[in-house]
Parts: sequence; structure tokens; C-alpha cells
Amino acid sequence: MDILYLIKPGEILLKKENQREFSRRLIQELKARLSPISVRIEEFPGRFFLFVDETKAERCEFVLSHCPGLNGFARTRLCLKNYAPILDAALAEASQRAAEGKRSFKVEVRRSDKSFPLGSYELAAKLGEEILNAEPSLRVDVHKPDFVVAIEIRERAYVYSQNIPGPRGLPTGSSAKLLLLLSGGIDSPVAGYMMALRGSPIECIHFHSYPYTSKEAQEKVEKLALALTAWCGHTRLWMLPFTDVQMAIKRSAPEETSTLMFRSAMMEAAGILAERIGAKALVTGESLGQVASQTAEAMALTQSSLDIPVFRPLVGLDKEQTVGLATKIGTFELSTLPYEDCCVLFSPPHPLLKPDLKKGASLYGSLGLRPLIEESLRGAEKRSFNYKDIG
Amino acid sequence: MSGKELLYLDWAATSPPETKILQECLELSCESFGNPSSAHDKGKQARSLLEDARSSLANFLEHSNGPGSKPPVKKDRGKIVFTGSGTEADQIPLLSVLRSALSKPGGVKNCHIVVSAIEHPAVFAQATLLEKLGVRLTVVNPGPDGRVSPEKIREALCPHTRLVAVMAVNNETGAVQNTEEIGKAVQEAGAGPGSREIIFHVDAVQALGKVPFSPDSAFVSSAAFSAHKVGGPRGVGALWISKEMEALGVGGGQEGGLRSGTENLFGALAFSRCAAKAAENLDERLAHARRLETSLIEGIRLIPGARILPECRMPGDGAFSPWIVNAAFPGLGGEVFARALSDEGIAVSTGSACSHLERRRSHRVLDAMAIPPELAFSSIRISFGNTSRTRDIERFLSVTADLYRRLKT
Repeated sequence: MDILYLIKPGEILLKKENQREFSRRLIQELKARLSPISVRIEEFPGRFFLFVDETKAERCEFVLSHCPGLNGFARTRLCLKNYAPILDAALAEASQRAAEGKRSFKVEVRRSDKSFPLGSYELAAKLGEEILNAEPSLRVDVHKPDFVVAIEIRERAYVYSQNIPGPRGLPTGSSAKLLLLLSGGIDSPVAGYMMALRGSPIECIHFHSYPYTSKEAQEKVEKLALALTAWCGHTRLWMLPFTDVQMAIKRSAPEETSTLMFRSAMMEAAGILAERIGAKALVTGESLGQVASQTAEAMALTQSSLDIPVFRPLVGLDKEQTVGLATKIGTFELSTLPYEDCCVLFSPPHPLLKPDLKKGASLYGSLGLRPLIEESLRGAEKRSFNYKDIG
Repeated sequence: MSGKELLYLDWAATSPPETKILQECLELSCESFGNPSSAHDKGKQARSLLEDARSSLANFLEHSNGPGSKPPVKKDRGKIVFTGSGTEADQIPLLSVLRSALSKPGGVKNCHIVVSAIEHPAVFAQATLLEKLGVRLTVVNPGPDGRVSPEKIREALCPHTRLVAVMAVNNETGAVQNTEEIGKAVQEAGAGPGSREIIFHVDAVQALGKVPFSPDSAFVSSAAFSAHKVGGPRGVGALWISKEMEALGVGGGQEGGLRSGTENLFGALAFSRCAAKAAENLDERLAHARRLETSLIEGIRLIPGARILPECRMPGDGAFSPWIVNAAFPGLGGEVFARALSDEGIAVSTGSACSHLERRRSHRVLDAMAIPPELAFSSIRISFGNTSRTRDIERFLSVTADLYRRLKT
């Protein structure tokens, strides 16, 4: 039997001329993520209605709660535009919420079909009274109710009382593709998630220094990339062998600059790959002042070889806020697995905090790393992660 | 997995199994499937096999553990308790001391134990836990050669000392401890006026079948052994005891009440047979091991930058088990080197992990020997066994020299 979800798109409602295009993308993305489950999606101003077989409800709710562009959704009862069926549906909803332990409610009516004989206020009052009679454990609270019984009278009548939050943001594909520098740490997956919510398809690049870092560390990054697909729908992970670049830096650069040189080389490699795959900007998990290489001066230097922007959505967050987000999106546990993504022998004990941009860029240029970076790009291993692989 | 032929140099972690013995013992224990505690014939059959395994292991440990083992002080002075591991065998004496302290006036506050700083975590972590529970703990450091001096142990003793634990052979460096002299010192202190008897526990897991060690010759109260270090199955250990002990974990009262739980007949049979086999021709095998040790140590010293830990160790030195060699490759984390060797088909171990945390903490055993953190961080353990050959050492040395040259940072 089919059930119905009422879907509330969010930010796309603020768009003017392009709203149809954003809606089209959201519907396309929902269908792709739900595939091979077949669904019917009806589009109305400000609302989508999704019909799906009841046995697929769990998967459907997972998709709806992870798909960027959705503010929220609710399992909804569909009925004829007559008082009696609307009352039955409202009572059933209230009884379900009461059974969950909810204690207070209010009724909200939206009547876009003005031909319905009862006015919004009148209908809400009548239904409220009936609910109070039927469910003595409930009371009315119009200011801070535990739940709202919502009635929408449109082409048909819709009754719902849940409001499951969606991820908000913009539908995947409505912004340009981005390339995420994905380490095995806590921050970069969160940065990827945040940009996925801005509607960008995300691809990931990871730099490993095998054998100085372990295969387990690479597997951890693969797991993180897969976890990200819950939000961005699909991703590719480019694994670059960066040992030779790192060794060259260790040999030729002053020790205190080695981390900055290494990060500059990663940015350069990511910039080249971004151009090749059509990504319009890089994404990193950098947060201002978190570590020595994340000062404004260091960021200016490490991005200096690029002619595309670097998005750093976590730049103003502290660690606790980032950890909170990582926990919410399900990457924290993976990120804290004990596999280092950088060997301690490559980390200088006293890294340079505030490099001079000109001197730093000139030092970086003098290292002549481009051939090694090209070599690393040629040796990259590419992995695809699909939405269907999760959950 | 690399496609290269495996060169196994991690015998101190676990030895390759004595497959034939294990199969025979499995068949035997399947035939005698009864519970050794059952009164019927099937149970008696299992009990009889178990007791045979017990007495043959005890007999072997006390009387026939290769050259250098002293004649027994008196016959069959100790008994064997089969356990689930070497670790469990180490835990029992420490927990016995705890139980006994809990039942006495003054409780744990009047209980003092002494352990060496180089003990395996089976002893060290357990001792640290007892300290958290209120027992007084003294940790005795070894000298730079990795050996614990009997004098230092003597100095650590006090009238409240109830237990001293010093291992026979260190699992990371191969340093052989002077358990004979330490045992004497402990016994003398325990026999002094107003003193109470002190348990002297020896973790002999790395000694069994490798170097001469007999618990009976060293004033030892208890000694722990593990089957899988001598070709036996994992999940079986043995505790040899010559003093009464009390269990902290109780149940059906098997193994003299010290290790409750239905006995692992297969494990006990396999352990006793593998231990006997491991001790065959120990003279000859030791001589062979010394030859391999010499090639290995001399070969490593020829690799520019590489060091043997401790640096004072010379080939043929009786103060070290020839089967275990620890070497440092500065500028390369031990974990990284072990990984790179693994890609070449060579299995070795490392105690240090490549992380910031570990770099600061360094390594407990090497640290206690005052080995600089950079060396400890870059150390690997090479350990071999009965079937290791000279050309294995040659292959190890050639691969190691090449890898170190390429990977050194």
C-alpha cells in the first residue's frame, strides 16, 4: 500500500525565476537516491508530495532526512475534502502522538481552497474540541505545543502531525562541483558535508604517504568518503601517492617550513585535479588558528599557487562545534579510529606560524615539485562511492 | 598481502604451529570428549589424559629443560595449573596476593609488591591495577643492558613485600634475567626475622624451549608459560606453582580452584607435547641460534645508521636470548619499517606506533633502559625459531639495507 510524505522544500522557495529549476533538481535527486524504489512525486507551490510503498518507508525516511534542499517532511494522511474524513484523520494523528507520550497540541489549518465550507479558524476549533474529547490525556497549548495537527486543504485534504527535520540547504547539483581535501581527521568530512548542503556535488582527494602511513589509514578515508555520500549523493575519491613529494620536501626545505610546503603541494595537486574534473573550487576543513598551518598567513601561502577559490566552511568554528557536527553526520567515530594520516617523522617539532607570503612562495617555487606532483596525479587511484552502498 | 615468499621473523609473538602434534591431540581429545570432572568412564578417560599432560609438562619443566638447568632441589616440588593464556598464568599469583591482603588486618595498605619495569603487560598492567586498588608497588628499572640487578631488587624489598615479579627473558630485547640470584635475594628476605614469605613469580613465556630455565632451580614460587610460543595452540597457558595460592576468580573449582572452568583437554595435551618437542636437542638448537644471532647482529651493524638495542649487546652474549634481537633504524618509525618489510614478505614486530602520542610516551621497556626516544621509536624486533635458516637472515639483511636506505627520512 502506498503511503504519502509531505515534503517542505526550504531555501529554494526563496528563489524567484530559477525556482522551477531548483525544484526539478530536488525531485531528480530524490528519485535518484530512492532508486530502485519507484515513487511518485507531485509538485505544488511550496510543497511536494511523495507516494511510496509502505514497506519502503524506512529507506524513504533515510533519504528524505539526508537530501539537501529539504527543510522537513511528514508522513501524511490524505483524505477527501469533507469534514468527517478530516476529523477521522486528525483523531488518528492525535492518538498516535498521545501514545508516544506527547501531552499538548494545537490544530493549524491552511485552507488554500477557499470553497471549503468551514473557515480555517472554525475548523481548527472544532477539530481541537473533538481531539480533547477523544484523548483526555491531551491539552491545548497554542504557544509551545508538543505537536501540531496540521490540516492543509488544497486539491485534497492533508493531515499530519510529525515534522521530521531535513538537512536544509540547496538541492545537490544546483551549485558547482567542488573538490574536497579529505584527510582522515574530524574536520574535512564536516567541511564536505557543509558544502554538500550548499548544493555542490563533491569529489574528494586524499594524499597518502605509504608506507609512512598505513593501508588502514587509507581504508578509513574510504569509509569517510562513503559516509559523505549519505549527504552528497555520490562521490569519487582520488587517492594520491604523495610519499615522493613529502620526501623531496623533507630533503630540501628548512624543517620548520615543511608542513607549509607540504600543504602548498597538496593544494597545487588538488588545483590541477580540480581543473581536470571540472571542480570550481577546493574545500578544506581548516579552522583559523587551530594548528600552526591554519593561520591566515599560512592559508595565504598554501593557496598561493591556485587560481580558484578555497572554501573553508569551518574557518570560524571551534573544535567542539566541529565535533558536534561530525557526530551528527556520522563521521566522528570513523575519524577517531587510531590510524594516522601523517607520519610523525614528517611533522616538524616547531613549525613556522606566520610565513612571509613572498618568501614562502619563492621557497615553494624553488623546490620544483611540479614533476613529482604530476607523477603523483598519474599514479592516483580513483574510487567511486554510490548512494546505494550505504544504509 | 605481498606475493613474495613469507619470511617469518616474529616467533616471539607466536610460533608457527606444530601441525602434526595439534592434529593428533585434537583427535585424541575428540575421542575423549567427556568432561574431566564427570564421574563416568568417559569423564575418567578425559581426566586421565589431562593428568598425564599435566605431569609430563611439570616433569619436563622441572627436570629436562636443556643444558644449564640445575638439578632439582627436591623432586616434583611444583604443580601445573593449566590456564587460558600466559597472561592468565601471570595474573593468578598477583591476584592471589590481592585476595590474601584483603583478608588480613590492614588490608591492601600493608601489601607491597615489586615488579621490574620491563615486565610484559600481563604482569605490569596487572601490578598497576593492584596499585590503583591500594597495594603499594615498587617498579625496579633495569640497567642500560636491559637486565635487572638482584641488588636493586633486594633494595626494593620491605617487611610488607608479598610478591616480586621478574621475567626470565624480556620479550622485546631478549635480555635474560638473573632469576637465580634474584630468587635467592627474595628468599633470604622472606626468611629473615619477622618476615613473611614472599612469592617470587617469573614470567617464563619467552624462555620455554629457547634458553635454559627451570623454575625449580631458582627459588621460584610460580612461573608462567604459554603454549603458542612453542608451536602449541593459542588459548592455552600454564602456571607452575610451588606455593599455595588463592584464587580471586572462582567457579567450579577446576585446576585446584585456581582456574575454574572446564579444562581444555586438547590445549593441555598439545601444550605438553609441543613443550617436550621444543626442548629436544636444545644444545644444538642454541648453537644454531647463536650462529644466526651472530650473522644478524653483525649484519645489522654493517648497515649505515642502524643500531642494535641495547648497543652493548654482542653476539654470543649469554645475557641475551639468541632468538630475539632488537634493532633501531633512526629516521624511520619502527611501525613504518615493519609495514615496508611486510610488503617484502618479511614479518617482524614493533613496540612503537607512529603517532605523536607514542612519540612523546616512547616505549616503556626501552625507556626504562634509558634508550633515547628517537631510537626506541625506530626500533623493530626480529625473532626467529627452530626452522629459521642462515639464508633467511641473509635475505632479511639485504632487504633491510635496501629499504632503510630508500625510506630513511
